[in-house]
Amino acid sequence: MAVQTSPAAATQQEVLVSTDWVVQHLNDSSIRLVEVDVDTKAYSEGHVPNAVGWAWDTQLCDTLRRDIIPKAKFEQLLGQSGISSNTTVILYGDNNNWFAAWALWQLKVYGHQDVRLMNGGRKKWIAEGRELTTTATKITPTTYRASEPDTSIRAFLPEVMKASSERSAKLVDVRSPQEYSGEILAPPGLPETCQRGGHIPGAKSIPWGKACNEDGTFKSAEELKTLYGTAGITGEQPVIAYCRIGERSSHTWFVLKHLLGYKHVKNYDGSWTEWGNLVAAAIEKP
Amino acid sequence: MPKVEEYSERKSQLAGWAVNIVTYRLGSIYHTTIDNTDPGAWVVKAQGTTKEEAETKATKEAQGLLEKVKKSKPPTGCTSVPGF
Repeated sequence: MAVQTSPAAATQQEVLVSTDWVVQHLNDSSIRLVEVDVDTKAYSEGHVPNAVGWAWDTQLCDTLRRDIIPKAKFEQLLGQSGISSNTTVILYGDNNNWFAAWALWQLKVYGHQDVRLMNGGRKKWIAEGRELTTTATKITPTTYRASEPDTSIRAFLPEVMKASSERSAKLVDVRSPQEYSGEILAPPGLPETCQRGGHIPGAKSIPWGKACNEDGTFKSAEELKTLYGTAGITGEQPVIAYCRIGERSSHTWFVLKHLLGYKHVKNYDGSWTEWGNLVAAAIEKP
Repeated sequence: MPKVEEYSERKSQLAGWAVNIVTYRLGSIYHTTIDNTDPGAWVVKAQGTTKEEAETKATKEAQGLLEKVKKSKPPTGCTSVPGF
């Protein structure tokens, strides 16, 4: 009997791997494991064998102006990491793959074909009692050539303003309910990097973490479809996800774009640190 | 190559905020991380030669940070903010 696979389920297989799968491919030369953490020191304290580590705050952004990593630096980073255009890149990290998803989004912006997340990230790997090493991973550098940036998955301010004022796209605020309501300006413990609290008018609150199970893995496609569908996010209209600086929303972007297979999904990496600092921008507070 | 051992995870409250406390041993060192469960953004870490030492250090630092979180107050320097 033929197995009936929904389009969403088929998509999941292309972008998620399990921790068991990673163990079986630790020495596979066609694979490059990359750890990207919120906590940039975590990698050096112990990482999955043969993984390289990328620092989100210095290596996955433009360090002069506020922007994603420039194309030339991206090519350099991937080349130094031994990645070719046909390498399968497996990303993982702490906080349920927050910054791993941020990295994945940037790899997609620059057109890398085969990039996946290790489901559950660093948390699941550790919880399963697996090996961690501090041994440096031996790399044979490559010359990597990236594509021109794909802006179909990246939203900039003018488009977000239009989405808010004309309801031309569904806006999803993935921050915590307290940030959405304006009760707090930043996640507890992080610096307040915006002048005003609240949310973009018209945005729905669907915190990123609702997409995850307790062990850090993603919920099933059916559960995710229900979660977002209940808030009117069905994939029939374009969607723009945002958070504070664009990394939590990368996680939600990944869910909507790759686990649910919705076609028109963008990440607004300007997010609340852009909108919440704009002079005269409309803000909604429930 | 060392494996992670003695993994533990529990939810707790610090300064009124829900937190997640994870501790494990790698070799002879205990590692504790504390993140705020929702939104899960921020991490305090500590190490110790015992689980208690690592968790005590991390909890103390987390408590101090979370006590400083301001709620629904205007940013410094603002005197008139509608809605506050």
